[in-house]
Amino acid sequence: MRTDELIDRLGRDVTVAQPLPAPGIRTAMWTVWAVSFLVVVAVMMFAVMSSAAVTATPLYLVQQSVALVTGIMAARAALASVIPGTSSRVWVLPAIGAAVWGVSLLWGGVLDLQASGTLGVASQSDWPCVVSMTAGGLVVGSPLIWMLRRGAPLTPGLTAFLAALAALSFANIEACLTRPHAFALTVLLWHGGTVAAVAAICALTAHRWLRWPDLTTR
Amino acid sequence: MDESPAPDEHLARLMARAQQGDSNAYVTLLRAITPRVRQLVRARRGFLGESDVEDVVQEVLLSVHAVRATYDPARPLMPWLSAIVRHRLADAGRRHVRQGAHEIGVDDLDVTFQAPPANSREETFGDPDALAQAIQTLPPGQRQAVELLKLRELSLKEASALTGMSIGALKIATHRAIATLRRALRASDEK
Repeated sequence: MRTDELIDRLGRDVTVAQPLPAPGIRTAMWTVWAVSFLVVVAVMMFAVMSSAAVTATPLYLVQQSVALVTGIMAARAALASVIPGTSSRVWVLPAIGAAVWGVSLLWGGVLDLQASGTLGVASQSDWPCVVSMTAGGLVVGSPLIWMLRRGAPLTPGLTAFLAALAALSFANIEACLTRPHAFALTVLLWHGGTVAAVAAICALTAHRWLRWPDLTTR
Repeated sequence: MDESPAPDEHLARLMARAQQGDSNAYVTLLRAITPRVRQLVRARRGFLGESDVEDVVQEVLLSVHAVRATYDPARPLMPWLSAIVRHRLADAGRRHVRQGAHEIGVDDLDVTFQAPPANSREETFGDPDALAQAIQTLPPGQRQAVELLKLRELSLKEASALTGMSIGALKIATHRAIATLRRALRASDEK
């Protein structure tokens, strides 16, 4: 088909395509969903177990806050990455957030060592948290995936990685609420490991579920 | 004094109207950006032949069509368009490398079998002119299917994307076209 014919065909097929809201607005919409999920989980958990089960030390609050901010920044970066013309360095802020989150957990490990004389790594395995975070991440991340698929999959691997980081950051908070941990390094290894593994799988399989929309003209 | 807007602003307005479903504005926009896209493709992939350049240009136009909702009318159009061109070129490059890794270029090798007729070098492929004429007499849908699938050797998926015909319809059109061509060529041989 000649290019002129293609243009005529596309012109005949054109329909109203409302511009997507800015990434910031879409991030806010998704954050409302993710925070609502956390609120529901928190209410359900506090209904069945004592609120004293979670020891809200200042460091714990910092860790959860950093996870929350990292999740929001990662979601914004993922949503920006599907808009052509956006800076290719969208990943920098979420990377900084993830690094701060990791450092805060390492610092927690140092404090655990000083207080208990152990890092607690060998004392706890955490497979239920892996399952809980993966399932929670799926619930939190599904609307994000739907939103991303409305954009242009310019860098599917990066977009998928950021989306997984966003969803699992929130799922981490959910897991910390439902299964409080005595040692910070356990959280770093199991929760951080889950985030890294799931995000890597998402990035590697992104070309299957973050494709260019159907390019056929009707 | 000429008060006409800067070219990019003009394109942005056309795209904004196209997003509202204005077909004329959309065609005007696509015709205006096509030479720019072609120029960008040639500048970045100077080694491509004309038909390959045109393939990438068409792929970019289809991509623009598919993700036109991602354009923010408050922003200039060209950075948005350039990003799509850049990424579609990268995709085309990756596809080319992938295909190269799975396909082996083979020279025209003589195929021989034990039976003497198979080794005849006198065998011809028929009359190319008669074939070209016969293709021109096909109905438009069948002719397009043959041109895309048999002459340009596109895949069914690619041909479907270009024509808007379903893969099943393309298969049927090709099958009928081949049958028609076979009859036409046989008839011309008998004359």
